[in-house]
Amino acid sequence: MDLVIALALNGLVWGLIIALIALGLSIIFGLLDIINLAHGDFFMVGTVLTWFVLEATGNYWLAFLIVPLLGFLLGALVERSVIQPIRGMAALSIVATFGLSIIIQEVVRAGYGAAPKRILPPIEGTIPLFGIEYDYYRIFAAAVSVIAIFVFFAFLHRTKLGTWMRAVRFDRDTALAMGVPARTVYMVTFALGFSMAALGGAVAAPITTVDFQTGVDVLPFCFMAVIIGGLGNLPGTVAAAVLLAVTEGVVTSFTDPTVARIVSLCLMSAVLIARPHGLFTGATR
Amino acid sequence: MTAPMLEIDNLTKRFGGLVALDHVTLDFEPDVLHAIIGPNGAGKTTLFNTISGMLKSDSGTVRFRGTDISGMAPHRISRLGMSRSLQIKSVFDSMTVAENLWIAAQARQGVMHPFASRSRFGRTAERVDEVLEQTGLSGLRSVPAGTLSYGDVALLEIGIALATGPSLLLLDEPICGMGPAETAATVEKIRHLAESVDIIVIEHDMPVVFDLADRITVMAQGGILARGAPDEIANNAAVREAYLGEEEDDEDDPDA
Amino acid sequence: MKARIDRTVLLAVVALLIVAPWILQAVEHEFWLDILAEVLIWSLFAASVNVLFGYAGLLSFGQALFFGMGMFGVAIGIAKLGLGFWPALGLGMAVAVGTAAITGALAVRLTWHYFAIITVVFSLIFYFIALSAKPLTGGDDGTSFVMPAMLEAGEFELSLTDQTVQYFFILAVVAAAYFVKFLIVRSPFGMALMAVRENDVRASLIGLNVYFLRWSAFVIAGAFAGLAGCLFAMFGRYASATYMFYHVSGEGVVWTIIGGAGTLFGPVVGTALLIVVREELSNMWEHYPILVGIVVILTVIFAPKGLMGFWNALLDRLSQRPADRAAGEAPPQEEDAAAAPVPREGRP
Repeated sequence: MDLVIALALNGLVWGLIIALIALGLSIIFGLLDIINLAHGDFFMVGTVLTWFVLEATGNYWLAFLIVPLLGFLLGALVERSVIQPIRGMAALSIVATFGLSIIIQEVVRAGYGAAPKRILPPIEGTIPLFGIEYDYYRIFAAAVSVIAIFVFFAFLHRTKLGTWMRAVRFDRDTALAMGVPARTVYMVTFALGFSMAALGGAVAAPITTVDFQTGVDVLPFCFMAVIIGGLGNLPGTVAAAVLLAVTEGVVTSFTDPTVARIVSLCLMSAVLIARPHGLFTGATR
Repeated sequence: MTAPMLEIDNLTKRFGGLVALDHVTLDFEPDVLHAIIGPNGAGKTTLFNTISGMLKSDSGTVRFRGTDISGMAPHRISRLGMSRSLQIKSVFDSMTVAENLWIAAQARQGVMHPFASRSRFGRTAERVDEVLEQTGLSGLRSVPAGTLSYGDVALLEIGIALATGPSLLLLDEPICGMGPAETAATVEKIRHLAESVDIIVIEHDMPVVFDLADRITVMAQGGILARGAPDEIANNAAVREAYLGEEEDDEDDPDA
Repeated sequence: MKARIDRTVLLAVVALLIVAPWILQAVEHEFWLDILAEVLIWSLFAASVNVLFGYAGLLSFGQALFFGMGMFGVAIGIAKLGLGFWPALGLGMAVAVGTAAITGALAVRLTWHYFAIITVVFSLIFYFIALSAKPLTGGDDGTSFVMPAMLEAGEFELSLTDQTVQYFFILAVVAAAYFVKFLIVRSPFGMALMAVRENDVRASLIGLNVYFLRWSAFVIAGAFAGLAGCLFAMFGRYASATYMFYHVSGEGVVWTIIGGAGTLFGPVVGTALLIVVREELSNMWEHYPILVGIVVILTVIFAPKGLMGFWNALLDRLSQRPADRAAGEAPPQEEDAAAAPVPREGRP
């Protein structure tokens, strides 16, 4: 029983981190019409940058500040150099982000190395929770994710830029006709997506390993959250991420994790097919 | 009196709270050039979309030459001999004009010949030449459709519909976007086509409609306002009222 | 003129491929014969992506699923069921085509992004199943086998263990598959696929069964990928779940796009180029994938029709002077005339 509780809690924590990353994936998809196959690598870059900040300064807390900022800058750079030139070519954008994913992984392998490394959490120790001793840091990680998600929604609803983003997402043509600066909105959206994935990386670094390949595992999970939560439904994405991670955690406690993953994937295909964006209903929105 | 070729009975289509077609009952007799007019949002394009299978109606039936086609897939309706053009012109952009017509002409003969060369289908090639002739596009046969001028795309749009060898042609604003000279030529072509094919046309341009049509149906707010010969419609008080101040409105239907 | 140049180049390449074993032997680079065989197999895999994306307009990131099914069909057939050469090949094809028929019936209900996502999801599902079904597939380690003879008649035995026999077997199969692809592309069926790619609403209104056409393309593409997988299993005497991962599918997409989607030989060109680059560069610079990634992005931005698109445009400019164009006599039978799409968005 203790194991089930521990794995369920782990699932909850992991689900909140995934939710943060998946929100970035969802806004990039919703606003830019881009399937970002490099999104998992954005997360991985976050973990690696955290490792470098830790190496350079020895201060973990600094990483929580610097890594999302660097992520934002990298995202803006990528948007301007890769994404902006292929606007409107939906299918080819998938190919471009696949190329981006190859580049990011290989650059990290060259600069950071191929060997996975572990980072120690900045807070050690455990506290009693639901009858088990649970890591302090994981609770902290969950809290950071929740705060970041709240800040993100506040940004969307309380700031001018956020309002523009929602407008473009809701009805692109009208928004553009009303003078929303499209290029700025696209760049900020992509940069924000990268930044959130990178923050997710900084938060998750002590929980997972720091390795140039972690993005490959995270990506399908983020897509599942976005699809099952409902495309365009941001709170749904958060809920789906948490639900999926907790379910996978619980299922893992009595069977193979691979089986848990197969079950989630089947669930995801069912959702995709039951809501077909068929011939005449507008396949792109 | 001849039996109607197209019978629409109690057809209803809603989009959320908006009733686009409100229990429409209509018969179209053959050998007569029909036109449908009406202000924006009257439900004209929705009517075409529902007849041709692009939209499923909420209730009611459509019968085409005796066959119930309500709820049938568009490609099956097309194979029964009903062909339509689209209001927002859409052709096969990266294929040439001749290829556009070729696939339209071949579609109903069947395309599941994965190993046979296209050059073996002589009848289809003849049909392409015929339609090129009828639409006056012969000079442009090898030009990619995506590079055509707007007026030529509109002609190709009609040509594609025609190439399938239909017995009924639904034309949705066929002259929309054409200049005066092109319009006159296209109206002549449609009149000529009407000698061999039944035609129902949606059109905004009133002079064209009253010049072209034998019989006019006026739609408003998802229902039928009036039907009759052009001079009857011109003198109909209800129609005049519906159109007051709306003559110059060229916007697309919201339900397109 | 364009057709004549194309034919000459094609004949020259085929002739070179036929004499390749002797040339490579003469210059003592036999090792390259295996690389050539590998290029052939993977270009068949890329052809599978091309049938779907280039001609039917559906971008699949899951073709590795059928490649893997072909591989496992052959490997399990030989290692576990004790089948001979041809029955194992038949099993591999049957498994791949069967899987394509079933998954395709679901997948082609979606288009664009959603189709790409569901193909990834399907291939991931089968990837994880192959990983966990250890007794059957060997899981992470895969299944290896000893190659049975292809043909036995008394003293005479023909087997893929001979490098040259293996090369010619692969060359023959791939060439036959490309011939079939050529037939399909210039057939009414191929033209119908292109119509669906260009405008699915219009296609259905002229009487084309869009769903059935897409499904057929999916099954044909699955057969191509499956055949490539069968060949690759025979080539390596081995099958492994790693070849079902979506990164393998992605490589097929990359090869196709760089070579030129929607052209008959684009996938061959792209595959050959990138595999040769890999063989040459990987010794010199460990991190050469960075270069591959950059080339992919540059191709998508600046030459979305790929190398073959480039080649066709070049020949067009050379051969089609304004005077010729006015005559306008290019018949619609020209198979590349309607090729090389830059897919646009679906209907507004």
